[in-house]
Amino acid sequence: MFFKQIRRNAARNRKGNGLFFGSLIIAIVAFYTLLSLDQQDVMRFLSTIESDAVHKLMMLIPFVYVISLFFVFFLVYFACKYQMDSRRREFGMYLMLGMKRSRLFLLLLCETLWSSLISLLIGLPVALFLTEGISLVTAKLIGLGILGHRISFSGDAVLWTVCGFVIVQLLSMLIICIPLGKAEPAKLLSSDASQKQAPMSKRKSSTFFILGILLLLISYYFAISQLSSMDLSALMISVFVLLSSGILGTFFLYRGLGGFIGKRITRKSQSATGLATFTGRQIQENVLFEHKSLAVSSLLLLIALSSISYGIAMGIGRTTESRSTDFSVTGTESEISAALENPEINEMIETSYPVYLSMTKAKFETTSMINALKKIPKADNLVRNFHLEYILSETSYNHMMSAMGKEPIDLSTNKAALYSTMGGEFDFYDLLNEALKSQVTIGIDGQKYDLLPQLYHDNIVANRSITLYTALIVPDELYQKLAEDTQPFCQNIHLKKSLTDQLGLMQAIQKMGGCLAETGLQYDSYLGGIGRNLFYTVAASYLTIYLGILFLLISNTLVGLKYLIQQRKNKHRYITLLILGAATEDLCCSAKKQIQMFFTLMLSVAVCNSIVAIFVMFTNLTRLPTGTSVATVAALAAIALAVFIMTEIIYISIVKRTACREIRMLEITDRG
Amino acid sequence: MNANDRILQVEGLTKSYGKGSTKTEALRGISFDVLEGEFLGIMGVSGSGKTTLLNCIATMIKPSSGKIILHGKDISTFNGKQLANYRGKEIGYLFQEFELLDNLTARENITLPLALHGITGEDAENNIRQIAAKLDITDVLDKFPSQMSGGQKQRVAAARALISDPSIVLADEPTGALDSKNSKILMDKLSSINNEQHKTIMMVTHDANAASYCSRILFIQDGRLFHELRRNMVAEIPAFFYERIVTVMAQLGGGSANVL
Repeated sequence: MFFKQIRRNAARNRKGNGLFFGSLIIAIVAFYTLLSLDQQDVMRFLSTIESDAVHKLMMLIPFVYVISLFFVFFLVYFACKYQMDSRRREFGMYLMLGMKRSRLFLLLLCETLWSSLISLLIGLPVALFLTEGISLVTAKLIGLGILGHRISFSGDAVLWTVCGFVIVQLLSMLIICIPLGKAEPAKLLSSDASQKQAPMSKRKSSTFFILGILLLLISYYFAISQLSSMDLSALMISVFVLLSSGILGTFFLYRGLGGFIGKRITRKSQSATGLATFTGRQIQENVLFEHKSLAVSSLLLLIALSSISYGIAMGIGRTTESRSTDFSVTGTESEISAALENPEINEMIETSYPVYLSMTKAKFETTSMINALKKIPKADNLVRNFHLEYILSETSYNHMMSAMGKEPIDLSTNKAALYSTMGGEFDFYDLLNEALKSQVTIGIDGQKYDLLPQLYHDNIVANRSITLYTALIVPDELYQKLAEDTQPFCQNIHLKKSLTDQLGLMQAIQKMGGCLAETGLQYDSYLGGIGRNLFYTVAASYLTIYLGILFLLISNTLVGLKYLIQQRKNKHRYITLLILGAATEDLCCSAKKQIQMFFTLMLSVAVCNSIVAIFVMFTNLTRLPTGTSVATVAALAAIALAVFIMTEIIYISIVKRTACREIRMLEITDRG
Repeated sequence: MNANDRILQVEGLTKSYGKGSTKTEALRGISFDVLEGEFLGIMGVSGSGKTTLLNCIATMIKPSSGKIILHGKDISTFNGKQLANYRGKEIGYLFQEFELLDNLTARENITLPLALHGITGEDAENNIRQIAAKLDITDVLDKFPSQMSGGQKQRVAAARALISDPSIVLADEPTGALDSKNSKILMDKLSSINNEQHKTIMMVTHDANAASYCSRILFIQDGRLFHELRRNMVAEIPAFFYERIVTVMAQLGGGSANVL
C-alpha cells in the first residue's frame, strides 16, 4: 500500500509538472555531459599528443562539476518547492488522518528516490545520446574522421552523475521538508496565503530605480573605457568597480521597478478595461516579491550569453588557423630524398619542397618602416622592438602558397615582403599591415627594396612552436647571397587530398607520421603543432559553452518556476475573477501577458548588459584572430542568436501552457 | 403584490452529489419566488443546503434538475459569454471572506466587474463616488486591502457587488467574518440600500441578528423548504422579528412538530 502510494504520487508529479521533471532531466544531462568529457573522441585523441594539457583539464573538471552542482541545486530546489507547495493540503490531510511526521517524511523521501530513479532511467540515455552526438560532431568538425569513433560510455561519469543528482535532490527535499514538518496541520490545510502587498514608499522605489540605472551606466562606462588599461592595479580597481556597480545596479533596478510599474498602473487604471489593471498589478506584485530572483536570473543570463559568445569565438578563432603544410622533415638532403622515394610514403604525398629559411648578417636599413609605424597610434612597442634577422626564399614561400591553393607572391624588380608568425594577438598583424600600406622601403646592404603592401603570415613550418618575430621574404638569388646557411632548413610535405578526404585529416597525418617515424628522420607535423591549439579550442569552447547553456537553462527555469509559484499562491484571485464574470480565456490571456512581461523584464536587462559585455570582450579583452571570416562569425552569431531566441520561446510557451492549464482547472467552487 | 413583480423564480430545484449508494441529495425540489426590492434571508442549520441553493443561483454549480428563472430566462442553460455576462452584470456577489484582490486598490477592486465588461473607471466615476459615500469608504478608495479594517473590506466588497447595478445581490454569510459592530454597520448599509434603491438582496446567514434586517426569511432543512417568516415592515420592529427568528431556529433542531 505504502509503495503503491509512492509510485502513484511520483507518477502524478511527473504528469502534472513537466517543468519539474524537465529540470531533473536537464540536471542529469548536464552532469553526465561534463563528466564524460574525457571519453569524447577529440579528448581521447588529444590525450595521445597533449597528455599534460589534457591531464590539467581533467583536474579542472571536478571544480566545474562542483560549480554546476551548486547551480543545478537551485534549479532542482525551486522545481521541488513548486511541486511541494501544490501538495500542502494533501500533507495537512495526511497529518490530520493520523500519519506520523516521520512516516510522512519517509513517504516524501521514497517518492524523491523513486522520481530520481525514473529521471535517471530517462535522463542517462538522453545524456548518452547527446554526448555521442557532440563527440561525433566535434570529431567531424576538426577533421578527425569518424572511423576511430568509439562509444563514449563512461562508467565513472554515470556513477558521479547518479551521486551528484541524488545528493542535489535529497538536499533540496530536506530543506523544503524541514519547515513543512514544523508547520501546523491547519496551516497546511488552509490554502496558500499570498504575501500581503506592502507597497514601498514612492520615493524609496524611485530612488532605487534611478540608483540602479546610474550604477549600471557606471559599470558600462568602466567596461568600455577603463578596461584597456595596462596597469595591473588600475585594472583590478576597474574590474572591482565594474563588477560591484553592475551587480548592485541590476539588483537596485529590479528593486525599484515595482514602484515604477505601480505608478504607471495608477495613472492608467481609470481608463483601463478588461483585465488590464489586474494584469498590471500582478506583474507589479511579481516584480516586488521576486525582484531578487529577477536580478539573479538576469545576471545568470548575462554570464550565459557572455560565456556562449566567448566559447563560440574561441572555437572560430582557433579552428580558422590555416593549414599550410602537413609535415616539415629535417635531415640531410640524401636522407630525405631516400625516405620520400619509399613507395608507401610517396603515394601519400601531393607535393614536397625544400624550405630555405636562414639567419643573415646583412645590414638592414629600417628607417622607412619605423617612420611608418610611428604614425600609427598604439604601435610604440613595435617601434622600439622592430628588427630583422631572418630571411626566407621566395620559391619556398610560393611552393607553400600554391600547395594551400593561394596566389603566389611576385618579388621581381627589387621587391621584398615582410613575414611574421607571431600570431594575431595584441593587434600585431594589424599594426604591421597598416604600416606596410604606406609604401615602405627597406635597405639591404645599401640596396633599396620596396616592401609588398601586406604582411604574410602563413606558417612556413609545421611546428607551431617555432615563431618568427619578423623575417623578410626575398628573391632566391638574393637569398643565396645573404643566407648564413644555404642548406634547406627543412623539407615540407603536403598530403594528397584524396587521402585526407578518405581518412580525415588527423588520421591521415597520423598514418604518414607512422611511416616517417620508421625512417628515423626528425619531423614535425601539423597535428603536433595544432594539438595544443586544438586542445584550447575544445577545452575553452566546450567548457564555456557548457556553462553558458547550463546558466541559460537555470535562469529561465528559475524565472518560470517563480512565476508559477506566485500564480498558484494567488489562485483564489482567479476564482474571484471567474465569479465576477471574467471568462476563463480572458484569465489565460492575462496570465500569458504576465509571463511575457515577466520574462521580458529579465531578458531586457540581461540583453542590455550582455551587449556591453560582449562588445567589451571582443574589443578590449580578446580579439578574433586576423583572417577570421566575417561571414563565418556572422553566421555563427546568427545561429547562436536563433538558438537563444528559440530557447526563450520554448521556455515562455511551456510556462504559458502550464499557467493556462492551472487556470482551466480552477473551479469556482474551489473557494476557501 | 403581483406576479409581475417576481424577479427570480426557483422551480423544483434539486442538486445531488455522487452516484448509487454514495448519492447525497443537497436540494430536494425547492420552489420559491423572489420579488423585486425584497430583502430575502435564507436560514438553516449546517448541511441544510442553503449555500448550495445560493451557489446554484450564482451559477457556481449546476443544479441536477429544476429551473432558475431570472427575468424570464432560465440561467441553468447559460454557457460561455451568457454566463460571464450574467455573473458580471445580473448578479452581485458578497462573500463571507470578502474575496477582494489584495494586489488591487479599493477603487480598482470596485471597478473590476465594470472593466471586465468594457466600462472604464472614468466612465463610472460618478457612480463610484456615490456608492463609496453611501458605504462610507471614500477615504480608503486608493488603499490596498491590507491597509483596511475588516469592516471596510466588506463594504468595499459590497460596493463591488453593487457597482454594475445588478438585478439581485447574493450574499453568502456577509457578516461571518466581522465583529458585531462592523456587522451592524454593514447590515444597516445593506438595509438602507434595499429600502432606498429597492435593490433586491438574497442573503444566506446563520446570524439571527443579521437576518432580522430581512423582509422575509426562508428556512431550509434537509434540502427542502421548511418554513417561511414574513416581517410586517410597517408594524414590526426588528427586535420582535428577531425573537420570532430565534424561535424558529430553536425548532429547526427538533423537527417540525413545534413550529409556530
